[in-house]
Formats: sequence, structure tokens, C-alpha cells
Amino acid sequence: MEPHPITGMYNGKFGIWLFLASEVMLFGALFSTYVLLRVGAEPGTWPRGDSILNVPLATFNTIVLITSSVTMVMSWASVKMHDFAKGRLYLTLTFLLAATFLVVKYFEYKAKLTHHQVELVQPVTLHGHDVLKITGHLGEQTDEFVMIAPDPPPEPDEHSSEPTRSSHGGHPEEMRIERSNITRVTDFGPRHSTFLAIYFTLTGLHGLHIVGGMVVILYFMITGASAWQTMPEKYTNRIECTGLYWHFVDLVWIFLFPVLYLL
Amino acid sequence: MDRIIDVVHVFMLLLFVGWGIFFVHCLRRYRQKPGHAATYQPVKAKVSKYVEVAVGIFEAILLLVFSMPVWAEYKSSPPPADQRMEVRVVGEQFQWDFHYAGKDGVFGKMDARLITASNPLGLRVDDPADPGADDIVTINEFHMPVGRPMYLRLTSKDVIHSFSIPTMRVKQDVIPGMEIPIWFTAVDGATAEELRRQMTETFPVEKASWYRLRHHVAAIDHMGKDGEVVLAQGADLGPTKADGDEKLEALAKTGVTELTMQPRVPLEVVCAQLCGNSHFKMKALLVTHDQAGFDAWIEEKSNPVEPSFEDF
Amino acid sequence: MSEHGHGPQGRHGHDHHGDEPGFWQKYVFSVDHKVIGIQYTITSLLFLFFGFCLMMIMRWQLAYPNSVVPVIGKYLGGAMASGGVLVGDGYNALGAMHGTIMVFLGIVPLGVGGFGNFVLPLQIGAPDMAFPRLNMASYWVYFLGGVVMLGSFFAPGGAAASGWTSYTPLAVTALSGQTWWLFGMVLLITSSLLGSVNFIVTTVQLRARGLSFFRLPFFVWAQFVTAFLLLLAFPPLEAAGVLQLMDRLAGTSFFMPSGLVVSGVPQTQYSGGGSPLLWQHLFWFLAHPEVYVLILPAMGIVAEVIANNTRKPLWGYKSLVYSVVFLGFMSFVVWAHHMFMTGMGTALSTFFQATTMIISVPSVIILTCLIISLYRASIRYTVPMLFALAFLPMFAIGGLTGLPLGLTASDIHLHDTYYVIGHFHYVVAPGTIFGLFAGIYYWFPKVTGRKMSDLLGKIHFWPSFIFINGIFFPMFFSGMAGVLRRQFDQTEQIHGAAAHGLTVMSSWSAWLLAVAQIPFIFNFFWSIWKGRKVTDNPWEATTLEWSAPSPPPHGNFATVPVVYCGPYEYSVPGQKTDFCPQHVALEA
Repeated sequence: MEPHPITGMYNGKFGIWLFLASEVMLFGALFSTYVLLRVGAEPGTWPRGDSILNVPLATFNTIVLITSSVTMVMSWASVKMHDFAKGRLYLTLTFLLAATFLVVKYFEYKAKLTHHQVELVQPVTLHGHDVLKITGHLGEQTDEFVMIAPDPPPEPDEHSSEPTRSSHGGHPEEMRIERSNITRVTDFGPRHSTFLAIYFTLTGLHGLHIVGGMVVILYFMITGASAWQTMPEKYTNRIECTGLYWHFVDLVWIFLFPVLYLL
Repeated sequence: MDRIIDVVHVFMLLLFVGWGIFFVHCLRRYRQKPGHAATYQPVKAKVSKYVEVAVGIFEAILLLVFSMPVWAEYKSSPPPADQRMEVRVVGEQFQWDFHYAGKDGVFGKMDARLITASNPLGLRVDDPADPGADDIVTINEFHMPVGRPMYLRLTSKDVIHSFSIPTMRVKQDVIPGMEIPIWFTAVDGATAEELRRQMTETFPVEKASWYRLRHHVAAIDHMGKDGEVVLAQGADLGPTKADGDEKLEALAKTGVTELTMQPRVPLEVVCAQLCGNSHFKMKALLVTHDQAGFDAWIEEKSNPVEPSFEDF
Repeated sequence: MSEHGHGPQGRHGHDHHGDEPGFWQKYVFSVDHKVIGIQYTITSLLFLFFGFCLMMIMRWQLAYPNSVVPVIGKYLGGAMASGGVLVGDGYNALGAMHGTIMVFLGIVPLGVGGFGNFVLPLQIGAPDMAFPRLNMASYWVYFLGGVVMLGSFFAPGGAAASGWTSYTPLAVTALSGQTWWLFGMVLLITSSLLGSVNFIVTTVQLRARGLSFFRLPFFVWAQFVTAFLLLLAFPPLEAAGVLQLMDRLAGTSFFMPSGLVVSGVPQTQYSGGGSPLLWQHLFWFLAHPEVYVLILPAMGIVAEVIANNTRKPLWGYKSLVYSVVFLGFMSFVVWAHHMFMTGMGTALSTFFQATTMIISVPSVIILTCLIISLYRASIRYTVPMLFALAFLPMFAIGGLTGLPLGLTASDIHLHDTYYVIGHFHYVVAPGTIFGLFAGIYYWFPKVTGRKMSDLLGKIHFWPSFIFINGIFFPMFFSGMAGVLRRQFDQTEQIHGAAAHGLTVMSSWSAWLLAVAQIPFIFNFFWSIWKGRKVTDNPWEATTLEWSAPSPPPHGNFATVPVVYCGPYEYSVPGQKTDFCPQHVALEA
């Protein structure tokens, strides 16, 4: 596979770069959506990322992903220097780091989807205030009423409750809310608000890209040995292309993290 | 400015005819003939470059001298608040609601929980202290004075519609979650009666089509051979095609050779953005009055004790 | 065949087939670009035919509102019709599916997937595409996408009925098969993306020796720019499709503003805060470049056919190339001219009007170059040439009628009227489709080794030309009169009633146009087996595909071609024949 005189790349590499250009447009469209939704939101309704999302977990995930990019490069560098065993080791590490990322994501998502918000027609007294929204964990639900264990009162700053900090050990007592007083009940999933909608879409699509990358890496982990025997140069190039893709996925996260979690 | 459509079309025609003449000329002159070869490099033409530049310049003129200034004026100079008649227009599947502020000049607020068929905007009609109590809401009927700037505040309850009065070249998308203002003035004298008069036409009975005439009524009494009235002034040709065909046949038999018809309602507000299965039927009657007539209509609609709404 | 040499032919990464492949690998799951091109062609022609049939049903309702549809009325049921008479939802469904099928399942797969796949590698002297297996994947994903799209017809609420534009919130709240439409689009977009990567890498990296960029046939340039448009413009629509799916299925509010009330019921299940205009921006960001994707391959075909049948080089080749590249760039910055009526202010509309006017310039240049190419030519009126010539004035009408639409002031009156329908159909129907017909008649001998009947071709051409104008020309007048589009019953509105005669004329022209296609359909299939056998280069053309056998074998060229001159060396002074193939050095 010789590089072409005009582009200086072999076909596969050129192809991957083009594919990444289209991916930039894809994630770009979603980032633009974020901007448009945020700019168009009623003042005060768009939450700060760190008030709803778990920043420490995401920071950990960022470090995990960046490390996986390093191991990916090391894998390619190793096979480029004809050390197949090391290459495969680094490839496996990349795979494991990616899996770690996804496991953390699973816990993040789960916390959101098991946390609920009840929106009321008439206000109800909670923690000494009259509120139209109660967040917490749902208990029994029937056609007439809904039981909810409210979150502890928020810190004395303006933002809404921190869901992952609610202590599950000591449940505050459940409140009963009549259905007739409820406008809607929602989890903290994508339907909760436009912020969470774009959060889940962006991180979800990113997560799918991680899964896709993992599938490819797994394929090379399994078939690598025989490929190395029959077509080492091609195999090396394929690892390089995978690496390019993987760096892109990492790069998307490096934009996602501050935009969603910190702003 | 008003004639920009015409100017553009003349330009288009000139270009097309120019190209067309050259095109046809080449097709005829340069047919393959024995003994005649094509010319490898016939033209180092400057002509086409000049034409191209000319086209570019003309387009720039159209843009900078006509369209952009027109749009800027259209969009950024609303009529002053003391001169204009303000009406809120709410589009929904599948009707137009027109909301007038009533004597207090203040629009009541919409409350979704109070919406019913006869109160489509959910105004607080039962509370006399509420600004909405004296508001007038009509469904599918838009009354307006001529010769006075109208200022319409457009919004939608459900999906994107488009508020359009084709005869007045008025069009604006109506988008839920947004309130978009438009303004226009109907020409003095464009009252419903006057327009009906101007739009009166005759149609030969033999070739008349119900589809063409379904919104028309007779402008005069039509007499048959025996002197009786076969189609009275104000009568139409029936509500369906079957009725219409029957009526036309009957009229032909009575010796009527031509029909003098005028539109029942000369002006319509129509929906110009697909909004569902009854998009085509989403229209409102547009009734233009002179100022006196309009004031009388408002008076008739307002009632200080009980607000009245069009019941459907 | 030495496919693994070190020259240009060795770059394609082509896998061994080993022994002769079996039936499935040869004809169904083939990685050969020619087989894939034929698969795309047949599939897309079927979809085009189906989309046309949908339109014919609609035209009945338009001409004779609320009457029983003849012949097939009794088979229409469910959400579409009642007692053989179309209902509003059914009409809207036919309209939305007609547009979607013609654009995404018909024209683009034919122009790019069919013609691009078959002709491009041959024209650049390559043995296949850069990524043959990716090519096969892109066809099957397209096929799957088409099946899913058609599945929309079987959804409980009927087929998607919110226009091919699927504006929100209508598309989100609609009870139709809109969800199928969205999934279908995601698949079709993926297919396009895979294909476009292939086209770009192939064009850049697999050209034969001596084939520099400015020696490429214009067809290749057109496909090359088209591939970039597909690559970069489609992803935002894919994103938008995902967002709309989430609004429909996961209850999000990307496009749902606060305070919606549908049929008197406040929609409190949505969080609100979304923007209907967001969909429009994302959609049109693709859909505008998409219309150039619709026209460019056909322009490329027309250029080839004109060069060949004028027996001289195209006039202004360099201008053509620069114009098409510039057009590609500009197509990304005009999209909001579809949104002038959404309450746009002066800043945004000024920008988009200006870019729209600017983009008309390269189109004018291309058209002018093609017309001037007829000057001092030696014109052969072959069947492909008839279609290619007809393309020129038809594209002119389509392009020119875009002017009053691109100027906001005149757009107020014309937006969403039949004027728009006339405008874009002129470009796509007597424009692109005629270009594609030209291509079919032109390259048929290369694909099959036989020629289509000339007589049947002319019988196809003349009535088609007349009737297609009969359909669309009256629409400019309807539109000016205020007749709106997407109207189940035009006569419900007073302008629609007044212009009804024009509508009837369009409908009859459409049905007659259908009849005029019968000679073509017969000719196409009959000639595959019974057409007159011809040599490898029956048109005496210069481009590389004509130096391969007809049909070309797997790997295309017996000997690797080397290119010595430009693509249109016809009637070169001092040469023995009036054409000099690219792979033959000109005699000194």
C-alpha cells in the first residue's frame, strides 16, 4: 500500500480522514443544536452543568479516555516497529480503558434515569417552601397518587438539587401527591429538559462511537495474529486508521466535557 | 418596488430569449453535414465574459437597489402605535382565531387550561376585572378596515402554519413559541362590496365548471325562457360537484346561455404551510370595511356586560 | 490478470476472489463496481417509477377533487382513502412519499450510485473503486433504507405525511409512519456517506498514469464535487433525524416549544423549550446542497454527450471546472433562502439573498459554456444528444425561475405556491431526469454490448418533452395566481378554483407522460437481449471507458491505460480521424 504522490497517504488513511470530516459535521450539528437551545432558553432555566451532572466522575472518565488514546498510539507505534506482542498488549489496554469509560457512563445514566421530578398544578409545601416541582425517588404509584421521597433541600445557592448526593441510607419520608395535582412526572432522562435532552444525545452518540471503536479493536485483537503473519504492513496501516478514529472520538469528548459539565 | 416581480421576469425572459436564439441558431446551422468538420477551437470569445459580467451586475442591482431595501423597509418600519389597528392572530389545526383587544385596548392573556371550542384562546371571560373580559375573538372571520395600517401579531398553538392573503401578497409563517408581527395596509376602497363588484365575470353555461365557480354567487337574477327566475341573485351552484353539474344542466335547459357571477367572499386568509390533513380547508373569510363599517362591526361584537364569541 | 502489480492498479487493495465466484458473489453480493452500478440503476429506476405512480394518483385528486380514483381506487384503504376517494391524510402521505422517494431513493442513487459507480472508475482508467467492499455495503444499506421507507406505508397511521421536509412540530406530533421515514433516512444517509468516501478516494488516488486533474472528463469532476457535498452536508440531517426520533420516541423537546396545545389539549408531557426552526436549519443545511447533488451528475452526463455529439472539445473546460467547484462551496451557505418566511430579520436575509444571487453565477457559466459548445460544431442528433440538448433550455427555465424566489421581496408572494413546484421540477424533471435518460441511452452499449433502438428512443423523446412541459409550465401561472402547494383540494380556496383549468392540464399531461415512457421501458429491456450488437466504441468517443471491452470484464482493462491528452480531443486539426482517444498519443 504505497502512499499516493498527491495526498501522501495510502487509500485507507485518506478514507478515514474523509470519514472524520463527516463526523465533524455530525457532532458539529449537535453542538450547534446545544448553542441554539441554550441561547433560546428562557433566562434562568438553563442549568449549569455542574449542578445537575457529576463532574468528578466525568473528570475521571476524561483521564481514562485520554489515556486510551495514548495506549492506542503506542499500539500503532509498536507494530510499526515490528513488535507485535507489545502492540497487542497496548491494543488490549485501549479496549479495557474504553470499557471502563462505558461502565462509568452506565452508572451516570442510571442515576439519572432512576431519579424523578414531579411537576404540580397547585404548589405543595416542602422543606418549608411552597414548590411547584418536587425531585426525588419514586415509591408506590397508582392511578390516584404517586409516592415520592424528596431530595434533601438544596445547598444555599440557586441551583436545583444534586441527585447523586441524596443519601440513600436515610430516606426522608415519602410524600403522597394526588394525580389530579400533577402536570407531569418525568425521570431525569432526555425528556426532562432540553439541557438533558442534548446531554443524553451528545454523550449517547459519543458512547455509540466508543462501542463501534471497541468492536473494531476487538476484531483486530482476535484476528491480529494471523493478519500479522500474512500482511503485516496492511495490518499496521489498519491499526493506524483505527487510531485516527480513536483520537477523534477522544477529541469529541474533550469538547463535550467542558461544554456540558462545566459551563 | 411594487413591480419587482415584473422586473425580474422581464430580465428572465431577456436571458432566456437571448440564450434561446443562440441555441436554436446553433442547432440549425451546425448540423452534421458531409464535408463540414467541427472547429476545434472556435471562439476565444470575450463576448461571453461580458455577458456574464452584465448578468452579474444586473443581479447585483436587483439585490441592492430593489430587494434588500424593500425587505429592510418591510421588516423594520412598523406603523406607529397610535395609527395602527392591532390584532392578534392565532393559527391552530384547523382554524384561524382573531383576537381584538376590545374597548380597554388591552389584550387578555391566554390560559391553556380554559380553552374550549367557543373560547379557543382560553381567555378569562368570566372575570370582569380581567383585561380579556371585553376582548373580541372571532373564528375564521377576519374583519379589518381599509386604508389604515394593520399590525398583526401572529402565533400558533400547535404546529407551523402560514398566514397568507394572496391577493394582498401578505405571507408570514406562524410558528408556535414565537410571536411574529407583520403589518400592511389595504388599499382605500378595497371593501368587500367594491371587490365583489370588480370581480364580477360572465361565464358561458356550456363550458362552466362547478369547480371553477364553487365560491361564486349570482350577481344578478338570471331569467329563463319563460321569464321566471332560474338563478336568483346571491344564489350559488350547490355544495357539491354533483349538485353543481345538475344545476348547470338544468340552467342550460331553461335557455340561460351565460352566467354573471361574483365571489361570495372576495378575500380569504389561507394557510400556506402544511399543517395536517385539513390544511387545505384552513381558511378564514376576510371582510374589509370602510372605517365606519368597521367601527359598527366592533360595536356590534362588543358588549360591556357579556363578551360574545362566534360559536361553531 | 495481474491485479496486484505495483503500478496504479495495485493501489486498490483488491482482494483475491481465487476461483470463479458463485452466483451469489457474482450477481448479488458482488464487490465489482459495475455490478453494483447496475444494482443501483435497476433499484432506483423501480423507485422512480413507483414515485411517479404516487404522483399520478395525486394528480387525479387535484384535477377531480373528491371523486373516486379510477382503476386503483378500490385498492386504496386504511389511512389513505375512503370508498375509493383519497382523504386529506392520504393525499399528504402520497405527497411526502413522492418527494422523498424521488429525491432519496430515485434520483441520487441513479445519478451517483448508478452512473457514478459504473462509469467513474472506467473513465479514470481504474480497475474498480478504492474500497470495493465498502461499495457493496453502501448499496445494501441503501436497499435496506428503501425497504424501511416503504414500510412507512404499512404503519398504522399511514405513510409519513408531513412533506419530504418533515417540519416540526407537525412531524413530531403526527400519528403517521413518520418514525419509519426517520429510520429510513438514517440508513440512506449512512449509505451516501460510505459511497462518498469511496468516490473521493477513488478519484484522487486511482487515476491512470497521465490523467491529471485537468484532463478529467467533466463527468468525473461533477461526481467528485457531488461526493464532497454528500460527505459534508448529510451528517447534520442525520443528527436532525436522530433528534426528531428522540422527540417522537423519547419525549424530548428539541423541536417542541413550550405551551403547545394540540386539539385543545395542553401538551404538558413535553418539557418545552425547543425550537421548530432548529429542525428547519438542520434540514435545509443538507437539503440545499442536496439539490446540487440532484443536478450535478446529470450536468456531467450532458457535458459528455454534448462533447461527443458536437465532435469538438467542450467550450470553456476550465471555466466549467472552476464553476462546479465554486458551486460546491457556495451551496453550503445559501440554505436559509428556504426560510425567508419564518420571521427572518434583515441581517440574516441580506446574507442569504446575497449568497443565493452569487451562486447563480457559476450555474449561468456552466449553462453558457455548454450552449457555446454548440457553436461551430458538427452536431449529431443521436438519441442521447436529443435528451442532452433538451436539458439545456429546461435547466435554464428552472434556474431562471429561481431568481424571483431568491429575492425576499418577490418571495413573499411566491413562497409555498405552485411557482416553487414548477421551479424545482423544471430543474429535476426535464432537467436531471432528461440528463439521466441521455446517460442511459449513451452508456447502454458499454454496459451490454448492444445499442437501444433509435426509433423507439425518438418516440420516447418527443412526447416526453412535450408532456413534461405541459405538466410544469402551467404551474408558474398557477403560482402567480396564488395557488398554494400541498393542497388536498385546490378548489377549496378561491384562487385554486380560479386556476383549476391549469391544474387539469397538468394532470392530463402527467398521465400522457406516463404513456410516453412505455416505449422506453420496452426498449430498455428488449435491447438487453435483442438490441443490435455494436463495437466497443460505437459513439466514437474519446474518454477512457470506451477503450474497455463492452461489457468490461472484472478488472476493466486488459492493459493498464496511460493517458496522453485531454478528454475531448475531437476534430483535432491534422489527425486522421475526428476523435483521438485519451489513451492514444496524438500523432505528431
